[in-house]
Amino acid sequence: MKQFILRRVAQLVLVVFAVTFLTFASLNLVGDPLFNIVGVLSGIPDEQCEAVERGEISDTQSSGLNMGDCALIAQAKEQNNLDKNVVERYGIWLSDMVSGDFGTSFVNGDEISDIVRERLPVTIRLIVLAQIVALGIAIPWGVASAYRANRGFDKVSTVGSFGLLSIPNFALGVILLYFFALRWQIFPSRYENAGWWSELKALTLPALTLGLGLAATYQRLLRTDLITTLQEDFVHMARAKGMSDRHIMYRHALRPSMFSVITVFGVNTGALIGGALVVEQIFSIPGIGTELVEAVLRNDPPVVISLISVVAIGFVLINFFVDLMYGYLDPRVRTS
Amino acid sequence: MTEIQSTGDDSRVEVMVPDKVPDDGMVDDAVRKKLGVGFWIAVGWLGLLVATVLLAPFLPLDEPNKLGAGPARTGPSLDNWFGTDALGRDVFARTVYGARVSLVVGFIAIAFGMVVGGSLGLVAGYFRGRVDQVISFLFFTLLSFPGLILALLITSTFDRTLRTVSLTLGVLAVAPVGRLARAATLVFAEREFVQAARVIGAKHFRIMTRELLPVVLIPMAALALLGMGVAIVAEGGLAFLQLSVEDISWGVIINDGRGIRDLQENPHVALMPIGVMFLTILALNFAGDRVREFFDVRETAFQK
Amino acid sequence: MAETHVANTQLSVRDLTVRFPTTRGTVQAVNGVTFDLAKGASLGIVGESGSGKSVTAKTLMNLLPRTAEVSGDVIFEGEDVRQLAEQGREHFWGVKMTMVFQDPMTSLNPVKKCGEQIAETLRYHLKRDKKSALAEAEDLLEQVGIPEPGKRVDQYPHELSGGLRQRVVIAMALACEPSLLIADEPTTAVDVTVQKHLLDLLDTLRRDRGMSMILITHDLGVARGRCDEIAVMYAGRLVERAAPDTLFGDSRHPYTDALLRSIPRIDQPSHTRLEPIPGRPPELINPPEQCAYAPRCRFARPDCLESIPQISGVAGMHEFACFHPANTDRGREALADNLAQGRTAAGLDVTDLGGPS
Ligand SMILES: Nc1ncnc2c1ncn2[C@@H]1O[C@H](COP(=O)(O)OP(=O)(O)O)[C@@H](O)[C@H]1O
Ligand code: SF4
Ligand SMILES: [Mg+2]
Repeated sequence: MKQFILRRVAQLVLVVFAVTFLTFASLNLVGDPLFNIVGVLSGIPDEQCEAVERGEISDTQSSGLNMGDCALIAQAKEQNNLDKNVVERYGIWLSDMVSGDFGTSFVNGDEISDIVRERLPVTIRLIVLAQIVALGIAIPWGVASAYRANRGFDKVSTVGSFGLLSIPNFALGVILLYFFALRWQIFPSRYENAGWWSELKALTLPALTLGLGLAATYQRLLRTDLITTLQEDFVHMARAKGMSDRHIMYRHALRPSMFSVITVFGVNTGALIGGALVVEQIFSIPGIGTELVEAVLRNDPPVVISLISVVAIGFVLINFFVDLMYGYLDPRVRTS
Repeated sequence: MTEIQSTGDDSRVEVMVPDKVPDDGMVDDAVRKKLGVGFWIAVGWLGLLVATVLLAPFLPLDEPNKLGAGPARTGPSLDNWFGTDALGRDVFARTVYGARVSLVVGFIAIAFGMVVGGSLGLVAGYFRGRVDQVISFLFFTLLSFPGLILALLITSTFDRTLRTVSLTLGVLAVAPVGRLARAATLVFAEREFVQAARVIGAKHFRIMTRELLPVVLIPMAALALLGMGVAIVAEGGLAFLQLSVEDISWGVIINDGRGIRDLQENPHVALMPIGVMFLTILALNFAGDRVREFFDVRETAFQK
Repeated sequence: MAETHVANTQLSVRDLTVRFPTTRGTVQAVNGVTFDLAKGASLGIVGESGSGKSVTAKTLMNLLPRTAEVSGDVIFEGEDVRQLAEQGREHFWGVKMTMVFQDPMTSLNPVKKCGEQIAETLRYHLKRDKKSALAEAEDLLEQVGIPEPGKRVDQYPHELSGGLRQRVVIAMALACEPSLLIADEPTTAVDVTVQKHLLDLLDTLRRDRGMSMILITHDLGVARGRCDEIAVMYAGRLVERAAPDTLFGDSRHPYTDALLRSIPRIDQPSHTRLEPIPGRPPELINPPEQCAYAPRCRFARPDCLESIPQISGVAGMHEFACFHPANTDRGREALADNLAQGRTAAGLDVTDLGGPS
């Protein structure tokens, strides 16, 4: 087990490097990094700015420049260490990230760490709620369909889950929004947060949007695993011990049948992060996804790469912990 | 759901394992293999769709971008089957033209994934050792991005042409397809027919293309259908982020019609294309699932 | 079929029949099984694999799949067990009647600690609190001869050897002090060296607690010293029932006879050839109206192919189901005729094997 953890930690570190480097490289290797940061201003020749600095010309209309353009370029160069090579820049950026300094937006000067602090919790709440919805639906659903496998309820479930898996989440979001928020007005159509209750209500439809399809995924996996588990001798043994079917399903069969669900749990958290981007748009939720999309649209690469790195690292960590979960689920893994 | 993802550990990609569910203790007879009528209905829908897209220029359809193809914001009628949107554009015509982009994106994406991911997976599974480690790590890294985030990273770095978007989604397909190909290759490389080819001294390339590729293609075929659905959905997701092609796709149309006012006054603008898209994804999933079952492939690499 | 009802009868099974409809036809797994079990007594059910032993046990335990079609009566301490099953009676199975399965590797839940699994029974049925249930579990582990029970309660099944695991299973079964224990081939899956220990343990526990037991095995030798009565099962029917001494000394059914020849005997030199029973167990789907053993029987005569022999004799003493019983004149005649023809009525080639017949 110890070795297993060590191996996974090593892998974790490697992947974090790879992921952050890929993200960083997209800003710094593709095209001109200065252009990526300051846009068309990067077209200003260096000599012109040097001349401005020496006071030979002024950065006003006459020279084709705007007030402060050169200062801006200088600041961009300095902040992003553009005079250093890519690997060095990556190193500096990464160590800044690690120490919690995510840099600043070049468009509006916002501290990126502030953005993360403000936006991330909303998204996390949404994703957690979505997982709760998904598991809360999938577990009883999977148990019910495995209990009488291939009978009426199970057959209907199969059709139902297949249908759910075929609805794109943005489509489901629009449908839920249309019926539950606009037509029947049971839930708000946009995010609001006047206390936890109002936020919970506002996050219900988004969480359902993300969670329903996931519930279907989990239900399929759980059902298959449960059917296998129910053939096991220890289930017969539990019945011979006189336990009720309900007790056997939930107390004996469920836990050993959660492997596939746990296996995809981490991966699906990734799917949820992606889904959250879209769902935040539909329900106007001020989460990290909305901020990310806005940053992309307003062409703000420092924010984009920092946010993507934060999300990707979070995702890698989740998967890491999911792997460790196996040990809890199956004591046999712990010792082997 | 809009993700192409795989599980974190190779051992969990199972290939060619019969997926039979025991029927409550009954002695089970060999399940008769059939694609079934549902499969052909699904294929029929997809065929109809492709035909409509190909014939679109010859059909009596309005220009998808023509304003005032009918009065604005009217429900479905004989003139405008799917109604009109806020600008009076014909939603049916837009849905048909949107199908073109969506299908092309889906097709190119999965084709790219198949070619690149398939080759990498084949090479990794065949040579093993160092090569395998490097390629597997590449897959693992790709999978360490939540899919849509990776897509966003790429489209925001490059441009938003049909080609870029398609290839971006293709990149997302590389790792899942590659893992499946690798796992399948690992299984088949041990089989007699491959061993025999090695013994008689066939070249690596020849063994890979002549002996391994045909059998590895079978599990990949099922994945192709499922993956195409995933790519189409992912394109829609990008459209919702305004990061997809600057053209009409299903995602674009649905995104156009999802504003609160539109939904309140003319929900058909979003709901009609949603219906068509749903049927298409359903058909792809169903057909893919049937193929998978037909070939007894159990596949956990795709999370829909 | 004598309907004698002894006063202290605990379990009484009458004409039990179990069928499984499958896509290939109906499996006639158990056919008219009838027996009584006195309080505190032990019955051995012996037969080849596939003869319906487990299905019989599962019927008693209400463990059959829903597809099974059951008829006949099962009366336990005056209560109709099949009716209890229909009513969904709780705290009956696992409390009064319980069962130990063949494979201790798989009959324990891999994700729960051994102590927890024993305690669970106590908590579920007897509503013990967690702490006292665990203490009791430890106590039970001690009773079934597990060393260091305090340590074992906190271990997972996979950390124990097969023999120890089966002891845990036994402890689990005994937790609520059942009055009937069904042990279905309890030692088949464990190491040969611990088989005897386990069987002796079961025997001791049974005597100490005055519990009745049904010991299912495919090995006549196992049942011999540990059962008050042995029932031999073939193709879903009981074909012979007698006390062990009677059975071993004076068997009647040719199948029992053949079984006896196929087990090693302590009273014979170790090089004595063991005779495997020729042929295979019969198909249980659409069996012909004849003695199921006929195709493998050295005694088979034409009448054996015409009807099914019913079990008869003195209930509680010696009963068997055969037209030409071994160790009788009828049997000797039949065998002599078959030997003279070189083959039985069912077409089996026979040669003289010697020995008592
Ligand atoms: N659930 C079932 N469905 C169909 N046939 C079954 C089922 N359970 C047992 N059988 C059949 O019943 C017969 C008796 O089985 P069993 O009682 O397990 O034999 P054994 O004497 O070895 O314990 C076998 O032929 C078996 O195939
Ligand atoms: S002698 Fe006849 S009735 Fe007796 S076991 Fe043989 S075949 Fe059956
Ligand atoms: Mg058995």
